[in-house]
Amino acid sequence: MTENRKLDRLKELLAEVDDLRKAATLLFWDQRVMMPPSGSEARAQASATIGRLAHEKFVAKELDDLLDGLNDEDYDYDSVEASLIRVTRRDYEKAARVPPTLTGEMRHASAMALSAWGPAKEKSDFAALLPHLERNLELRHRYVECFEPADETYDVLLDDYEPLMKTAEVREIFDGLKRDLVPLINEIGEAGAVDDSFLHGEFDPEAQRAFSYAVVRRFGFADDQWRLDTTQHPFMCTPGEGDVRITTNFRPDDLTSIFASMHEFGHGVYEWGVDPSLQRTPLGSGVSLGVHESQSRTWENLVGRSRAFWRYFYPQLQQTFSQFALVEEESFYRAVNKVQPSLIRIDADEVTYNMHIILRFELEQELIENRLALEDLPGAWNEKMDEYLGVDVPDDAHGVLQDMHWASGSLGYFPTYSLGNVMSVQIWERLKEDVDVDEQMERGEFGEIREWLRSHLYALGRKLTPQETIERVTGSRIDAEPYVRYLREKLAPQPA
Amino acid sequence: MLAEIADLQHAEMLLDWDSRVSMPHAGARARADASATVGRLAHERFISDDVGELLDELAPVAEELDPDSVDAALIRVTRRDWERLRRVPAALAGEMRHASGIAVAAWDEAKAASDFSIFAPRLERQLELKRRYIDCFPPADNPYDVLLEDYEEGTTTAEVAHVFARLKPALLSLVDELRDSEVDLSPLRGPFPIAKQKEAGARVLAAFGAGTGDWRLDETPHPFASSPGLGDVRLTTHYSENDLHSLFSTMHEFGHGVYEWGVDAGLARTPLGSGTSSAVHESQSRTWENLVGRSRGFWHWFYPQLQEIFREELGGVGEDAFYRAVNAVRPSLIRVDADEVTYGLHIILRFELEQELLSGSVGVHDVQEAWNARVRDYLGLDVPDDAHGVLQDMHWSIGLIGYFATYQLGNVMSVQFWRAAVEALGDVEEQFRRGEFVPLRGWLRENVYRFGRMYEPRELLRRVTRSELDPAPYLDYLRAKFRP
Repeated sequence: MTENRKLDRLKELLAEVDDLRKAATLLFWDQRVMMPPSGSEARAQASATIGRLAHEKFVAKELDDLLDGLNDEDYDYDSVEASLIRVTRRDYEKAARVPPTLTGEMRHASAMALSAWGPAKEKSDFAALLPHLERNLELRHRYVECFEPADETYDVLLDDYEPLMKTAEVREIFDGLKRDLVPLINEIGEAGAVDDSFLHGEFDPEAQRAFSYAVVRRFGFADDQWRLDTTQHPFMCTPGEGDVRITTNFRPDDLTSIFASMHEFGHGVYEWGVDPSLQRTPLGSGVSLGVHESQSRTWENLVGRSRAFWRYFYPQLQQTFSQFALVEEESFYRAVNKVQPSLIRIDADEVTYNMHIILRFELEQELIENRLALEDLPGAWNEKMDEYLGVDVPDDAHGVLQDMHWASGSLGYFPTYSLGNVMSVQIWERLKEDVDVDEQMERGEFGEIREWLRSHLYALGRKLTPQETIERVTGSRIDAEPYVRYLREKLAPQPA
Repeated sequence: MLAEIADLQHAEMLLDWDSRVSMPHAGARARADASATVGRLAHERFISDDVGELLDELAPVAEELDPDSVDAALIRVTRRDWERLRRVPAALAGEMRHASGIAVAAWDEAKAASDFSIFAPRLERQLELKRRYIDCFPPADNPYDVLLEDYEEGTTTAEVAHVFARLKPALLSLVDELRDSEVDLSPLRGPFPIAKQKEAGARVLAAFGAGTGDWRLDETPHPFASSPGLGDVRLTTHYSENDLHSLFSTMHEFGHGVYEWGVDAGLARTPLGSGTSSAVHESQSRTWENLVGRSRGFWHWFYPQLQEIFREELGGVGEDAFYRAVNAVRPSLIRVDADEVTYGLHIILRFELEQELLSGSVGVHDVQEAWNARVRDYLGLDVPDDAHGVLQDMHWSIGLIGYFATYQLGNVMSVQFWRAAVEALGDVEEQFRRGEFVPLRGWLRENVYRFGRMYEPRELLRRVTRSELDPAPYLDYLRAKFRP
């Protein structure tokens, strides 16, 4: 077979795998948004089968042989061909190392643990979840053993979510954040509380829905390519090219839905912007969770909590919700940017959010390295919450049980949230060199911002590694300094 | 192995449902790729040598089994499907899929322009492919038998022709008798606000027992029912302000849905886990749409509620006038809008033309004329243009030739099943008058639905009604209901 024929055949096989993954994505979305509840058992079976077939097709011998006969160095480094060979090779080597039985055990254990997590959180009963967490941790150890020994055990876990990132790099970044953010949190605390009482009250969910639509449509949500639905936990998925689906949650007593919609739009627009030539290949999606999160945080925070954004949208919000009639724009802006240590990660502000992540990152390493026993986890959690944020955890529901990640078996995922925050500002600063973002946003124009991000970042998909991607876009390695500067400029108390 | 294939079909069905109900428009191309891959994998797996070897190994086991057992049925049905699908070369299947894609687009265009000549070459191509398809099978008495077998296992062209030969004169004379009867249709001319139509539909579904967690009802231009997996039944309907069709299409699709819903859970994820044939399926959609949904008993119960919902629109219309309006008989051009009596003539016309097209005795270029002549003969109407004539249905464009007959067989069977139900349950209309539909549903589930594909359609009919396919009960029903 000639090299071209091999490459065509490789693309054919990969397209098939991608089609199965897209089908699995739709099964997942449908289950959360559309499916009648009594369909869940049949759906679980169908999803498992599709997932397994996609995996089997991907680790097939034919694919391995084709990869052996192809050399990425025969092509220009930046070409789709070279990237396809590089990335597929790497994905293949990772996927082929894990025996299907272990994958099956992990999937089963996480399903069991997830169903125990809900009631355990409800009753604030850590003991009920403990055996499941023990099982998950044991399986994670076996998972790590499938790979070559790394500098640190945690490296293997992290690599699933942030490819090629090392624990030591993350630690260095997070140590820097900790050093800079703890004093900032203290300064803000000493300056006295911001009034945000008007953000709590009655907000008609239908009016919230209309407002969310108004915002994301200005961002570029087109009805023939996007959907916005309602689920308890907001998420984004793309069951196919030209088909981006986001969800949000309209709570009747606050406006978090608006920020959730913008957050999920950020995830969606990244997928939307991947170059069409990468579709139906492993290159056709966002490059890492961290970079993905950088975009959800860009649209939620850098855009959606900016002064310029609210200059444009606040009058519309005032029209929608009469309780804001007498609230000044500046007061509103300060309220949606209020910094205050709290118990729950997903409700945290831009500054304290990172402390929630650092805490989880540290505990995860202690767990995987057996330096911390699982039964001591709640104690360790509460201690760190006190140390980093000065809050007392009243019960495990508001502490160690609040997130589903560990129950689902995701260890190594959390740090990508803060890495996303860090990268978001690096990218934004570079964008600001080319686009006068404030001037645009004040006029309700987001097209140039979106287009810049699309052409510089989104279009790349997975062609490069995450690190290379960030370097291409920003000209530098991942660096927390711009982020800290941004937080300080935006949120540090102004001297009177 | 079969469960895996069923899971792929589950995904395929959901991909299809989603593309018609919830998918953003721009997702169509990627969705076509994904559906094709999933469909192809399911097909490849099913026709594999592995399945064949397994069936061979099971052959001696099957002989020991009680023929009425699930295992025996599973082996029998799997072998039948496997052998049929194996006969069609992948290349031909691919050509057929491809041709349908092109033909449906041409049909869309032709219908919009009301110009049959745009569609004619595509129809020619479909017929040619159908002839090649037929050649994959052992010679039958009539080549059309092969096509029919895909939709109505075990029923031959001759048998259908025999049934239709008895229906045709009877329907023609009934239409004739009713030609001069005047029915006031003004109660059905809206506008009927769509929100209120939704409420009416929801009430009916709740009374039929579809208000629980197993069901969905959505909106699409062409209503359909889909059941991607156990415990997951999805209906769609279409709302128009100008009429109350949505209500009848909801009941029609409920009939399809409740059949799938009622298949025994033990048959899920096997080839036995769905309705046994197109005609039996249609018998159930027509049961719930017509035998229930256009009955006096039903309207006695529901009409006061409908009046309460449409206070302004129907407040001044009496129950009897409304009942007569929804059961008005008058020849019309469009099959899907036809009443219970004239509907059969639309089908007979298509059944006759399909055979003539296939044999070549009517050429594609003459079909339009033949159509119009028959509409004049059977329905006494002049076809003003192709959109209201030969181009009205999409079936031929997607290669469904041999399918139409099952609609009318469904009507025939519906009354046969109905008689058996009434024999067991007594006066069901009396139950409807009280809003009780669960006894009927329960009986149908117990006697028809739960068997899935365990029995061939004719065998099921025999077991339930103790008779063969017989148009007499259906004709008796029509005469009793519609004769002046």
